[in-house]
Amino acid sequence: MNIIETTGLEKRYRNTWALRDCTLAVPAGHVIALVGPNGAGKTTLLHCAVGLITPTSGYMTVLGDLAPGSLAALERIAFVAQDAPLHQHLSVRAMLIVARNLNRRFDMTLAERRLDELEIPADHKVGKLSGGQQAQLALALALARHPDLLVLDEPLARLDPLARHDFMALVLTAVTEHGLSVLFSSHVVSELERVADYLILLAHGQLQMAGEIDGLLAQHAVLNGPADDVGRVQDQLPVVHAQVAGRRAQLLVRMSDVSEPPSGWECDDVALEELVLAYLRGPSASSLPGPIAIAANRASEVTR
Amino acid sequence: MTTVTAETTFDRPSTHPVPWKPMVRVTWLQHRTELIGLLVLAVGCALAMILSQESTHSAYASYVANGCVANPLHGRCGTIANSVGNDTDSFSAVVIALHVLPVIIGLFIGAPLLAREIESGTFRFTWTQEVGRTRFVLTTFVMLAAVVTAVACLLGLLLGWYGHPFEVVGVESQWQSGLFDTTVFMLGAWTLVALALGSFLGALIGRTVAAMAATTVVVGGLLIVSFLDMVHGLLGVGAIATSKITPNGIGIGALNDRDYVSGPPPGSWLVRGWITGPNGHVLSTTAANNVLGRAYDATEKNFANNAVPRWLSIHHFTYWVSYQPASRFWVFQGVAGVILIGLASLLVFATIRALARRAAH
Repeated sequence: MNIIETTGLEKRYRNTWALRDCTLAVPAGHVIALVGPNGAGKTTLLHCAVGLITPTSGYMTVLGDLAPGSLAALERIAFVAQDAPLHQHLSVRAMLIVARNLNRRFDMTLAERRLDELEIPADHKVGKLSGGQQAQLALALALARHPDLLVLDEPLARLDPLARHDFMALVLTAVTEHGLSVLFSSHVVSELERVADYLILLAHGQLQMAGEIDGLLAQHAVLNGPADDVGRVQDQLPVVHAQVAGRRAQLLVRMSDVSEPPSGWECDDVALEELVLAYLRGPSASSLPGPIAIAANRASEVTR
Repeated sequence: MTTVTAETTFDRPSTHPVPWKPMVRVTWLQHRTELIGLLVLAVGCALAMILSQESTHSAYASYVANGCVANPLHGRCGTIANSVGNDTDSFSAVVIALHVLPVIIGLFIGAPLLAREIESGTFRFTWTQEVGRTRFVLTTFVMLAAVVTAVACLLGLLLGWYGHPFEVVGVESQWQSGLFDTTVFMLGAWTLVALALGSFLGALIGRTVAAMAATTVVVGGLLIVSFLDMVHGLLGVGAIATSKITPNGIGIGALNDRDYVSGPPPGSWLVRGWITGPNGHVLSTTAANNVLGRAYDATEKNFANNAVPRWLSIHHFTYWVSYQPASRFWVFQGVAGVILIGLASLLVFATIRALARRAAH
């Protein structure tokens, strides 16, 4: 069962394409990091997933076979938007009541307990809370719905390092306790490996890379070797990023179908941050599951 | 790295939509400031009407006690009627204030309803809750509409009570433009249109101040056009023509006045007046005025003895009047109200479409 599945998904705002030919399938049970530079289409993809915007073309389902934005999907997806937009003129308590009354399933006790733990006073106006507190409040409201999929748009952007840690700890606790899937977009590449186990990388509205982080790391390697031998390696392997310094070269390559590095080259593991940055620097490279991989993924689901 | 061991719950069945009753409290929490403001305004208007009516009450009671309702020309009735009529200034002020009420509701409740959600970004919270966008918008709108329409209807009812003495003594008529639009039914309908129009413009524009400005212009413009033209146009439909009249005064063309001629039943609304010649053809306005001029010259404008009508009759001219009888008043109210409610319904539909288009663009 895929938590999100898209086929040829595209979204255009007037003359600008925010998403182009986006095909991916993300299995359930993952914490998925959606990464990309500004304007890459991250928010557009998330808004498509929660039904806030309608794709220009293509196909998307969530939580198996549900249409994004349908009542059945909204029942099981909680969304925390960028900057956690809540009703600023309401008190925290009123905000809890609003959230409870807009959902049939809302764990008021859980929400109140989380806010107590965070020392967010219930009688304060939402607008008087700090950015971090507002983000925590929005997350508490989302988690109190006990969603199957939690979608977070840049949840860490307004948080200081300590608040980031607390925020993601809360998310991961919920993942462990309730088994929900999490899809979050982020700029903070350095923290991805600690919290996410699945990566989607977008650049210029196009999917650059998607897959389980362990698998992606295993498929890539850093090769160190003579600069005048780069051409030979490029003939054998897809080079994501090349850096030449004097007579030495360092290549980040995809080694999906190759077990041994080319002769004369030393092979090192690649770090996630290094991998992400390499793909962001070379947006023409791609390491996608593709339609065939999606089909295989489905087949494995069926036979499991 | 996170390892997920718990099972996901994909097979959780989806049941019925979120019930609307809890939405009452959500609507109250989100819009209580505007609703309290409306309540204060309504109480102010109601007090103004009740206090103003006090001064009219004694004169009107005297008018009734002297049997003037049945026979307005009897004894002191004219004097008493004049004293009732002296209070029409405050009545007119209240009528104008109630014309502004729909504009205020469209401005402060309708326009910000969706524009504020869109502008502040809170739609990303509310429209992704289990209730869903369409149900949230519709339920909120219906609840606000129920409140503002009820308030408007009560004020319209109170205005009817306040204006009754003026209607009875004949200084005001419920048919005239200003009062036709502020009855219990029409004020409620106009308020509904203003709320729906504000919501639609808010959804379309997505910016609160701009939506408020646009709502003021459009709702205000519609009310002015209705006052100046639309009501008269509507009341001309299916008017009854009669020549069996004894005019106290003769008007040619659009009359749009209460019944100053005897002939149509009491309480009728005069629509048009015209003269037909010996061959039965309708005279042009110029020709009719020429004929009237000759009649006035010959009779020295002696309406009291029916001299003018008799002169017309002798010379084979006939004065005609078309009118709407009083019995049709609520029929026209119903027709106008249904048109406005239909317009409001269309605007609500258009609002939902506008939000869907906003999602698609």
